[in-house]
Amino acid sequence: MLKGWKLKEIVLMSLFGVVFGIVYLLFLHIGNLWAGIIGPLAYEWMFGIWFIVSIISMYIIRKPGAALLPETLAAAIEVMLGNAIGPRLILSGIIQGLGAEAAFALTRYRHFHLAILMLAGAGAGIFSFVYGYFLSGYAALDPSFVALMFTLRVLSGAIIAGIGGKYIADSLLATGSLRGYAIAKAEKSDVRA
Amino acid sequence: MRRLLHEMNPCIKFLAVTVCILTLAFFFNPWTPLLFFAGVVLLQLLFSQTNWKLWSLAMLPFLIGAFGYFWTTLVFGEPGDGLVLWTIGKLDITTQQWELAWSLSLRVLAFSSISLLFAFTTDPVRFIQSLMQQWKLSPKLAFSVLISYQFLPVLKTEFEQLQQAHRIRGPGSSPSAFKRITALRRLLIPLLAGAVRKAERAAFAMEARAFTGEARTHYTEVKLTRKDFVLFSLFSLVLSVSGSAVFWA
Repeated sequence: MLKGWKLKEIVLMSLFGVVFGIVYLLFLHIGNLWAGIIGPLAYEWMFGIWFIVSIISMYIIRKPGAALLPETLAAAIEVMLGNAIGPRLILSGIIQGLGAEAAFALTRYRHFHLAILMLAGAGAGIFSFVYGYFLSGYAALDPSFVALMFTLRVLSGAIIAGIGGKYIADSLLATGSLRGYAIAKAEKSDVRA
Repeated sequence: MRRLLHEMNPCIKFLAVTVCILTLAFFFNPWTPLLFFAGVVLLQLLFSQTNWKLWSLAMLPFLIGAFGYFWTTLVFGEPGDGLVLWTIGKLDITTQQWELAWSLSLRVLAFSSISLLFAFTTDPVRFIQSLMQQWKLSPKLAFSVLISYQFLPVLKTEFEQLQQAHRIRGPGSSPSAFKRITALRRLLIPLLAGAVRKAERAAFAMEARAFTGEARTHYTEVKLTRKDFVLFSLFSLVLSVSGSAVFWA
């Protein structure tokens, strides 16, 4: 998967994994407090936060695997920092990353406009929900309640991860530190065209 | 004996934990997760040196989460056709719901106990080394991850500096926790921009030292021993004993 990647892209991707691992962990604790009071529904509307690194990294690097790997890594970092849900978080990271990756693979890694990024966020939401359905035993809950959870999660993926991820990557591009990555090159060719 | 779980091969431990968690997801009776939880804590008591104070602290948020699951299942769970245990307002709580609520919330505890076992007994660097040596994780990726991991303290200092810089220029820190969280947004972009530049410099340094993906020998070897298989079977034993609760409960 890493063939054709430059080393600096791999390091950048790993660093994103680390930074967002911390951000994820922070929100995990906030979410946990919420969930105690409101129940599993508390997580759903903010679920997009946990998909965001896939979108940012893919939007910047634009190579196959750029969505799956950082998400997996971020989850692994959460585990390594020692106080998260543990190794099963890595599993959910892989699944969320695959969901986002699937959306980009559908367009053959050619288009990276807002709609595709939102689709990727929604994809991560769908994949993670299917996994959660199995693991947390949502099957035992009322179907209409499950449908509500599902809609909230997909919407949150599209809005928080899709739009939010693009916003963060674009502001990063504006700082000029992303020169030399695919996103800056694409920007240039757009200007020329 | 007390270091066995710490010395266990991290990859095998990871495999054991994953197998346990995926299997537990198939059980919907309250006894299986409860027994599993007890078994895991027993294993950790016997074969590890755990700071139990820290463990209880780490367990606390999961306890709250489990409680959340408990009452949502009671309220939103499918009533099924069990006997009605009691009625609160318009809500009938059947035996089936009652059992399911216990099962799902105990499952949260079972999952977190085995996860905490992994977190408390595994050294992150050794885990990556093991991934590289046992599961053929690409060294290019593995060393990038190790480098990024070493950046954590640097990023923390940078974060504090950014915070102080912002404070000097005006937007002071607010006493309200909510405002402090929304203020993080302003710090994220400069922090990331700095991180991107650091990543680039680290990549150059790695290239200069030939960390570019050729076959490497390892200074610290993480081996597979017989102990790993004994421990793996112990985990399977706990899993199958708790799983057998289906038959007698």
